[in-house]
Amino acid sequence: MFYKLEQTMNIVDSHILEKFSAHKSQMLDNITVPNFTFGAASLDIALSKETPNHGLPLAQLHEIHTAEPDDSSNAAALTLLLAARARMAAETSDQPITWVRDRGEARRQGRLYPPGLVELGINPDHILYIDAADSIAVLRAAADAVRCAPIGAVIVELAGKNPKGLDLTATRRLALSAKKSGVTTFMLRSKAAPMPSAAFSRWQVAAAPSKALAANAVGHPVFELTLLRHRGGLDGLNVRLEWNRETRSFQEAPDISAVPAVSGIRTDHEKIRARA
Amino acid sequence: MVLMAVDREAAYLGLAPGMKLADARARVPDLKAFDHDVLADAALLEQLADACLRYTPMVSVSPPRTLLLNISGCTHFFASENALVEDAEDRFDQAGYSLSWALAGTPDAALALAHHGLREGAEAQLPVSALAMNDNTHRALERAGLYHIGDLAERPRAALVARFGSLLAVRLDRIMGIEDRPIDPIRKLANVTTERRFAEPLTHIDFAISCLEELFIEAARQLEERGQGARMIRMILFRCDGDVARLAIETAPATRDAALFKRLLRERIDALNDPLNPGFGYDLIRLSIVATDSLEMEQYRLEGGQDKQGDQAALVSQLSVRLGRTQVQHFMPADSHIPEQGLLALPALDSGPPKAWDKPKAGEPPLRPLHMFDPPQHIKVLAEVPDGPPYRFTWRRKVHRVSRYEGPERISSEWWQRRDGQQAGKGGLTRDYYRVEDMRGRRYWLFRHGLYGSEKANPDWYIHGLFA
Repeated sequence: MFYKLEQTMNIVDSHILEKFSAHKSQMLDNITVPNFTFGAASLDIALSKETPNHGLPLAQLHEIHTAEPDDSSNAAALTLLLAARARMAAETSDQPITWVRDRGEARRQGRLYPPGLVELGINPDHILYIDAADSIAVLRAAADAVRCAPIGAVIVELAGKNPKGLDLTATRRLALSAKKSGVTTFMLRSKAAPMPSAAFSRWQVAAAPSKALAANAVGHPVFELTLLRHRGGLDGLNVRLEWNRETRSFQEAPDISAVPAVSGIRTDHEKIRARA
Repeated sequence: MVLMAVDREAAYLGLAPGMKLADARARVPDLKAFDHDVLADAALLEQLADACLRYTPMVSVSPPRTLLLNISGCTHFFASENALVEDAEDRFDQAGYSLSWALAGTPDAALALAHHGLREGAEAQLPVSALAMNDNTHRALERAGLYHIGDLAERPRAALVARFGSLLAVRLDRIMGIEDRPIDPIRKLANVTTERRFAEPLTHIDFAISCLEELFIEAARQLEERGQGARMIRMILFRCDGDVARLAIETAPATRDAALFKRLLRERIDALNDPLNPGFGYDLIRLSIVATDSLEMEQYRLEGGQDKQGDQAALVSQLSVRLGRTQVQHFMPADSHIPEQGLLALPALDSGPPKAWDKPKAGEPPLRPLHMFDPPQHIKVLAEVPDGPPYRFTWRRKVHRVSRYEGPERISSEWWQRRDGQQAGKGGLTRDYYRVEDMRGRRYWLFRHGLYGSEKANPDWYIHGLFA
């Protein structure tokens, strides 16, 4: 009888302990893993309602996909800007963003242009650019970079439907290393086929028409984002964001449909043809 | 065709280098002749020179078939200088090479003696052709009855210089050991060198690696005393059959960290095109620190924080070793108005102090693209007027209709780089850049190459970059 009581007490104890430790780890998660935001309030609140932790968690793997292959510059810019915001949020402003890229893709898509980075409000000195030979080398270099704690953020760029070596295990490895070292990791994919991954969130990025400046000049960069997957079960978020270099944040952009340029001397060939 | 080299049997038959192939064939009808491969010979000689690094760090190659070793102060592993030479002779013999050698006080004397099969002290018996002057000089000396170096050495120099020039006197002095000449070693002399010799050759690669680690720790201790750290580490593994494997590691910051060295060494070995093959075993392993930088004693922070800068630099070193030093890059500002010069990226290993970048104009949208094509890609453009903005363009077989544009931003060529560039029409074509956006909202950087009418009748269009 006595013995039995003791056993039940033990069981109760362990239950309490389990609960407590689960609670503790949750608390730890909340404390040690703060979030980073887009800067657009409605989107940040939609992503996480807990104040003050709006936005997306740091020290996680996030995937960013291009809507179409031609959108890859926009997706790259968005990833870079998010990485810069994550780096600011993590207060690691003296640490570089490591960009790992496949050499073949760099040849097709164009090389990263430092003055263009400056124009987006990013100091090119903060970028460590790694040019790897193939997707396996990219993943290996990325794994090493993510494991290295004093790195601001890591961007892994992989093109193609099913790059060699990229599978659920590879993404899990990246996600776990990110969690352990606290380095926010972004995986940038173009022409990607849907596949399982351990990423916290998956976004689709497309180019969107910019808000015209005076004389119908091209305006600030605008991105169209769709949330494809989120660990918290969110779905179907769709938003248009404009990057503001001065405040280093995104803001919501009004939906402008593109208007063809009107120049004073244009002849309306179609009208003439219709008349004839 | 002429014989360049003959083997021992051919020499017995009376053939010699310099003989015409047809003559040689007439004497020995079943002669086996091969094309002379200069590069392969040079590579072989280089390899043999590497194998000789076990005797002295000062090894110099004197083509076509001579090696010069400066063994001053390097004979303590052997009973005498002759014992060293015997060891070398044995090794060359095992590898299938025959050796003719000589020891002398100066490199030129040793060269001349070895070529004529003489030993030290027999300089006077060398023929005058050992001076390696031109044929006319040799003939003139012989006509004067001076057949040997010894005959010349007795003569007053002034008369010889007056007749044959001062070069003869210099050559004569060098052969007689009066004047020395430094040799040009194939490898740079290292700051710190540590090595291990094995009585029984190491046949397993793991033992060799752990030996290298021990050597590095030893070298690091020496460096620590000088307040220095290694930037460039060279390792040479001598196989007992004469083969030599060479490894090099470069690190981003100066280091004395053995754990980092171990990691980099593994990376280096993994990245080798042909893996290390111990074969019959390594009998000498040498590690030398070729380049150093000052590195003070490490001090741990009082609060026990980790050294973050160190980890980052270790990552750069590791990836540079694995992927190649040029693949890990950091960007540098370029002092030029030509857009593609802005793509400048240097190896992150050579990172200097950060330089200032131009500040973008506040309120303006990005005026430079995120991605740049180098070289620019040709596109087909339809414009309203020949010198106006693009209206529609075709790139990669897709038609894009321009909805917004800004431009032109006119960027002139670097006419001062060209010959007669200041004259009209010779300074290169001016580019008119447009930032355009198509109906889908994608933004491009296009340019017209050449001013319409004044520079080119029908200017081409190119796409140079993609905006976000």
